[in-house]
Amino acid sequence: MTLWDLTQGASAKVSSFKSNIQSGYRTRLSELGFHPGEHISCVLSPSLGAPKLYRVNNTVYSLDDSIASLIEVA
Amino acid sequence: MPVASAAKIALIGSPNSGKSLLFNRLTGLNQKVANFPGITVDIASGQSIDDSSIQYLDFPGVYSLQALSGEELVAVEAFTRALEEDLLDTVICIVDSTRLEKGLIFALQVLETCHRYNKPMLIAANMVDVLDQHSMQFDPQGLAETLKIPVLPISARTGLGLSELAEAIAKANVPPQKFESDIIASDESINHLHAQQLAEQHGPKGDLLINTQTRLDSFFLHSWFGGLSFFVIMYLLFQSIFTWASPVMDAVEAAIQWLAAVVLPIIPAGVATDFASDAIFGGIGAFLVFVPQIFVLTLVVGMLEDSGYLARAAVICHKPLRFFGLTGKSFIPMLSGVACAIPGIYAARTVESTRKRWLTYLAIPLMPCSARLPVYTLIIAAFIPANKALGGLVGWQGLAMFAIYLLGIVCALMVTAIVSRSSAELRTDLPFVLEMPPYRLPSWKPLLRNAWNRCKHFVTKAGKVIFMVTVVIWILGYFPNYGESLGGSWLGTMGQWIEPIFEPIGLDWRYGVAILSSFLAREVFVGTLGTMFGIEGAEENFTSLAQQIQDSGLPLGSGAALLVFFAIALQCVSTLAVLQRETGSWRLPVQLFISYSIFAYVAALTVFNLVELFA
Repeated sequence: MTLWDLTQGASAKVSSFKSNIQSGYRTRLSELGFHPGEHISCVLSPSLGAPKLYRVNNTVYSLDDSIASLIEVA
Repeated sequence: MPVASAAKIALIGSPNSGKSLLFNRLTGLNQKVANFPGITVDIASGQSIDDSSIQYLDFPGVYSLQALSGEELVAVEAFTRALEEDLLDTVICIVDSTRLEKGLIFALQVLETCHRYNKPMLIAANMVDVLDQHSMQFDPQGLAETLKIPVLPISARTGLGLSELAEAIAKANVPPQKFESDIIASDESINHLHAQQLAEQHGPKGDLLINTQTRLDSFFLHSWFGGLSFFVIMYLLFQSIFTWASPVMDAVEAAIQWLAAVVLPIIPAGVATDFASDAIFGGIGAFLVFVPQIFVLTLVVGMLEDSGYLARAAVICHKPLRFFGLTGKSFIPMLSGVACAIPGIYAARTVESTRKRWLTYLAIPLMPCSARLPVYTLIIAAFIPANKALGGLVGWQGLAMFAIYLLGIVCALMVTAIVSRSSAELRTDLPFVLEMPPYRLPSWKPLLRNAWNRCKHFVTKAGKVIFMVTVVIWILGYFPNYGESLGGSWLGTMGQWIEPIFEPIGLDWRYGVAILSSFLAREVFVGTLGTMFGIEGAEENFTSLAQQIQDSGLPLGSGAALLVFFAIALQCVSTLAVLQRETGSWRLPVQLFISYSIFAYVAALTVFNLVELFA
């Protein structure tokens, strides 16, 4: 299951990154708080495939499917 | 030791940490401040308002010292070079105290760097006023003891804690020690584990801020209400550009006319009077009229940025714009371009990805700007009957105007879609990860300052180029027959040379000259054509000029071709000049000018032949 599959209101723990993610993106996501072991919740999932809003710690980020689908959650 | 006598203090922090607002507070300067990640583009510097021996340097906001985008690389390299060359005395790392963990991940990287370069560092924990509002607290003293560097709770918005910050800067002379902890982890994850631990120990507890934000996001990004509020806000934005700016634009025009009436009689009659009348009051005056529109647009877009709504608009538009190779962040620059390309190009600074910003620059000149409006009005009045259809609900002229506006937008999107797909480099880019800033009430003072600065920049920087080109066009149109007739001038001669170019679309040399002169600014087309048809004040007298155009026997195909040509061609010296300023080179403006001219001509030729075939 990836972060993009997380439905609105659900939360999960980041387990890993997909192997095809660029190392720069992986580092940046980790710096923003999307690192293995961290709890992420999907606070809003707008319709029509718009980027979703994820809360990590006290910050909300909007991620589109191209990047959210590279983060594995459990 | 630093090379200059003033102590140089660097301000560094993540986007949206309030760094630029703090810089404004400390220096009283007019650095742009907005509630949207990634506003600071250049390194701004300014003297302290309290102590002239202190100079502050505001580095662009970065999420990490390990750069990911081109802009970040420039910012990080500038910071590390300044440290290497011993140009900085102290580094202030600004963190958002309401989101301490995120700020500390970055602060620990800065601490490590300052330790390596032996530079004193302190942390300014901003936005404590927001914590106070929600009865939340954090422990700056404990954090300072753990990190062994000063941590100052401040509010750049209210000015809270700034005198203590100034005292701490004056005392800062000890470089930080390397931060050690008992956490064992890989290099990549050690910083965020440290930050997490520090935030848990010393950070504020609770999530009231996020809950408020989520409630508002549920509305503004709601499938129905979100879309509706988006259209209402955009409608108000348009209203502001066209309605609020209009009286001020009229006032500027009246002021220029008044000044001309006062000054012109004093100047001896002859070339000097003609130059002052045509080039100074006519040419320069024509571009000064747009200043109020730029002011209002910058102010309103600034309000949207500062309130936090701009980031939500980017989320709403991201998906559709991505199909055309753009990003949600391209939306506001393109929207601004509907009023005037110049503020649109300035607004593209918020697109932090170089490639997406470059694609946004391609789209903006094709957006149907207000300078095209007089041309469209004239041609439509000349060719489209004023009849109404569907029981008076739909006017054909209005429909034609809508169609030509739509054509510009479609062309813009098609160009970016094709160009972005033609290059592998343009297809791959930074993913869409956008921090959602908290909602807040806009601060008027910085917004007004910013709008004023934008206008000043437009008048002083782009104005120089516009003035030079105005003079050249005026000389070509005035000599060698001293303004007796445009047809006998060098510009007229050039018009006759280029007649073979416009002949295939059914236009004679007069239209050629009008098109040539309109490369200064599109609306000049109407004035030039009016002069040649011998009508004074053609800009206000569309009906009689439209009648003259009809009487001149211009084919319908040529009228349609003219509309299409003006929808595509980049006939605006101001836009080219601002593009040159923003990109730092003439390469892109020249490329765009040539390619859009060819595109406009080919499209106009095609439309002419199609219309003539079926009409």
